[in-house]
Amino acid sequence: MRRALIFAALAAAVAAPALAAQDVRTEVQSLRYPALRFNPPTPKRLTLSNGVPVYLLEDHALPTLAVQIVSRRGVANVPDSLWGVAWQADGMLRTGGTTRLTPDSVDKLLEFYAINLFISTDHEQSTASVSGLARYRDQMLDLAFEVLRTPRNDTSRIRVTVGQQQESWRRRNDQPGPVLGRAWSQVVLGDHPLGRSLVTPDELAGFTPERFRWVQERLFCPQNLLIGVSGDFEERDLVRKLEALFRGWPVCKPGLRELPPVRYATGPRIVLVEKDVNQTNIRMGHPVPVRIADSPEYFASQVADFLLGGSGFTSRMLQRVRSDSGFAYSAFSSWGAEVDRDAVFFAGAQIRAEKTVAGLTLMRDVIRSMRTDPPTARDVQLARDNEVNSFVFRFESASQIVGQQLAYAVDGLPADWFDVYLRGIQAVTPEAVRQASERHLKPDELVMVIVGKPAAFDRPLAELGTVTMLPVDSIKR
Amino acid sequence: MKRLCLLAALAAGVAPAAAQESPGERLPVVRHVLPNGMTFLLLRRAGAPTASFVTHYRAGAVDEWTGISGTAHLFEHMLFKGSTVIGTNDLAAEQGLFPAIDAAADSFTAEFRRGAQADSATLQRLRDRLKQLEDSARAFAVSNELDRILTENGAQGLNASTSHDVTNYYFSLPANRAQLWFVLESDRLRHPVLREFYSEREVVMEERRLRTETQPFGMLYEEFLQAAFRAHPYGRPVVGLASEIQAVSRRSALEYFRRFYGPNNAVVAIVGDIDVEQMKQWATRYFGDLPAGEPHRPVVTQEPPQRGERRILVEFDANPLVMIGYHIPNVRHPDTPALSVLSQLLTGGRTSRLFQRLVVRDRVAAQISSFQAPGGLYPRLFAFQGVPIAPRTTADIETAVYEELERIQREPPTAEELQRVRNQIDASGIQRLQSSFGLAFQLSSSEALWGDWRQTFRDQAALAAVTAQDVQRVARTYFTATNRTVATLVRPAAAAPAPTEGGTR
Repeated sequence: MRRALIFAALAAAVAAPALAAQDVRTEVQSLRYPALRFNPPTPKRLTLSNGVPVYLLEDHALPTLAVQIVSRRGVANVPDSLWGVAWQADGMLRTGGTTRLTPDSVDKLLEFYAINLFISTDHEQSTASVSGLARYRDQMLDLAFEVLRTPRNDTSRIRVTVGQQQESWRRRNDQPGPVLGRAWSQVVLGDHPLGRSLVTPDELAGFTPERFRWVQERLFCPQNLLIGVSGDFEERDLVRKLEALFRGWPVCKPGLRELPPVRYATGPRIVLVEKDVNQTNIRMGHPVPVRIADSPEYFASQVADFLLGGSGFTSRMLQRVRSDSGFAYSAFSSWGAEVDRDAVFFAGAQIRAEKTVAGLTLMRDVIRSMRTDPPTARDVQLARDNEVNSFVFRFESASQIVGQQLAYAVDGLPADWFDVYLRGIQAVTPEAVRQASERHLKPDELVMVIVGKPAAFDRPLAELGTVTMLPVDSIKR
Repeated sequence: MKRLCLLAALAAGVAPAAAQESPGERLPVVRHVLPNGMTFLLLRRAGAPTASFVTHYRAGAVDEWTGISGTAHLFEHMLFKGSTVIGTNDLAAEQGLFPAIDAAADSFTAEFRRGAQADSATLQRLRDRLKQLEDSARAFAVSNELDRILTENGAQGLNASTSHDVTNYYFSLPANRAQLWFVLESDRLRHPVLREFYSEREVVMEERRLRTETQPFGMLYEEFLQAAFRAHPYGRPVVGLASEIQAVSRRSALEYFRRFYGPNNAVVAIVGDIDVEQMKQWATRYFGDLPAGEPHRPVVTQEPPQRGERRILVEFDANPLVMIGYHIPNVRHPDTPALSVLSQLLTGGRTSRLFQRLVVRDRVAAQISSFQAPGGLYPRLFAFQGVPIAPRTTADIETAVYEELERIQREPPTAEELQRVRNQIDASGIQRLQSSFGLAFQLSSSEALWGDWRQTFRDQAALAAVTAQDVQRVARTYFTATNRTVATLVRPAAAAPAPTEGGTR
């Protein structure tokens, strides 16, 4: 297999003669590793009679079973007027009972059989995962499908959710990290649904069983779904069970929309949210156009991010901000990428208040350094070696392997995307990383959002540019 | 009607889990102890070719002496800084600067110790000088070389953590590279060099601010433990008090290391696609000649019995929270299984008594949970944590918790409640075998804390034997007002001054 071959080649390359009296660094360099021969199991893909794709991977090591039901539709596909309902539709599916069972009965059955049922309606997809002991396969599948197909949305549980969400809104400014997250989203994404993560009190007034039902039956319906099953099961038996569970589930109803076009804010821009804390929460970034694709530029951007701030202590950001300067415990970058639209690059840190402006300047300089002092061949080799040597960790468990296939399918990536990715990373050159950084990292056009106490800063923030104040209470969502 | 039928079916359909051996106890773990006392637990298992390495040292924050709180944790950071070889390109030149750096640090500390009388300009000057000197040593350092080597070899999950009881270090490697762990781990244990020490001290201060000083839960928890433990070091924060973090010296950290990091205090678990015989050979080759250190001696201090309820307020600019704690014995006490079952009955899941009442029925709380903390080696707390929904208050949460505790003292749990808990124990006993890293962590921790890797599995299995009467008995024994500590987070009065800067001046 392709992967096994890559490894044999690499093992040969690292072999070096051992020295007699060697120090530990020499010893590390002279270690000879046997080739790692590993062909990860591939899930079997088949299609149910209603067209739903199913990925199956049997693993009988333990008597457990995990089933993932993924919908290609998420909260951002729901009209804005129902955003809050859709954001909480997952909790109501889990806790609101079914037309046959009261909410208490569902809870009791799940907890009695020690079944884990986790439902999530996220921005661009929705998921129901159910797992437990394989001997309760029928209980777990029957309940999961019953909950998804015939939710009750009991009014008593809607009241519980409303109370909890009101309290989340009331507590929204209690911790600096979430304040930064909401401020950043508002500045960068404006009113776009992808920028939202909190239900507002106005929206809670519209929580009714009918509205929940409207959203739930559009997010979870056969044409949107993919299924992944891993663990202790027998294929024919399980497929028969799935066919039975889907029988009579009507086709998806109309009413959802495509993702509204995303327009990101551009910089330079500095936004300050005042909060009385002795540590400043910082995020800085800008839109980037590189998309997930089998293209040299995408792979180069991933390596650039690894070296800039994506790989912890081996990245420049944590090295400079933490190890060299002692300004922060955490500092990182994230060069986002999507299949079908632009995304956002950003760097973040929590910096000692008295080093805020020094820290902001340093972080901007570290981003700039990717252009002015591009990564060396050795740096790029580090990123490539890390990817190839760590590949086994992407295939550690059957549920992880199945989950990966589901994710590729939802994103429209080929089933062998990981092979493509690994090959792409291996082909990245230092020059390609430099070019990607040069073209796409814009240290002079950063949007900076800062949550902190300006009276404690080392220097006036205005030294970095015009500062816009964003009072914490005017973060709308 | 429908509901009744269902529950009858439930009770009939599932055989009660008798007190039995947990599946984990049957794992073919090979226990290999070197003559110097270093213990290796080796487990080969099918699956992807990975190997997880977890080491627990019997060295925690409770082992710190007065004035150096945070040192166990700071030392944990320092063990990633390398050795006499890894991390430097000129050891002599680098270490030649250490005396001057330490002297500068001592001058800073001397001024810092004056507290409110310290001169801020002097402090700043001394801090700058310390930074300047340490930067000059940095010229000879190869910063984060250990991380770099492991990253290029595909290591995953490289990290460590310090608790009150123990400190652990861990990562996973592709199985063919297992020897690299032996080379690097023995090197850093044999010849650690505490380079970049004083800038790392600043990093730890930021960790403290990140997790405690800017976080309502973090701040409340720290104050809660300090109120409940007046004598025992469980009352001291693991990350350290702000004033002590800023005064810890490289000497103290090294002394801590020499006292507690002997190989006889280390337990390594290696789990995955490994050759057990080869692991044994490497264990001897790389660690065999380390001299044994002092055996670990338990903390002598005992928390005196509490002589009345303790209540504290913690002012913080956030919405209210409450923690309620009762002193209970350490994990090895025979009452522990019943207390764990009680915790499940009260707050484990949506059908638990307190969740049903506070969250579902009365909508008093957004969250209610219980936990046993902060460690397990010494007598500790059974604690509740609640988040009220305004206009309901933390007092409403307290009332409900006390009433439910009284109810369980009067009326034993039902057979159905106990069966639910047993089924959950049964499932988690199997689910905890799923990941190599999780297994390695549990084996190493169990052996380090209790001298037997099977103990944690046995403790889990023992929960199934707990009876309704056991639960009732422990509820009556420990949950008294006298034995209680309550910490409440409240907003400062509008006129109150802004919160202090957490010890920095």
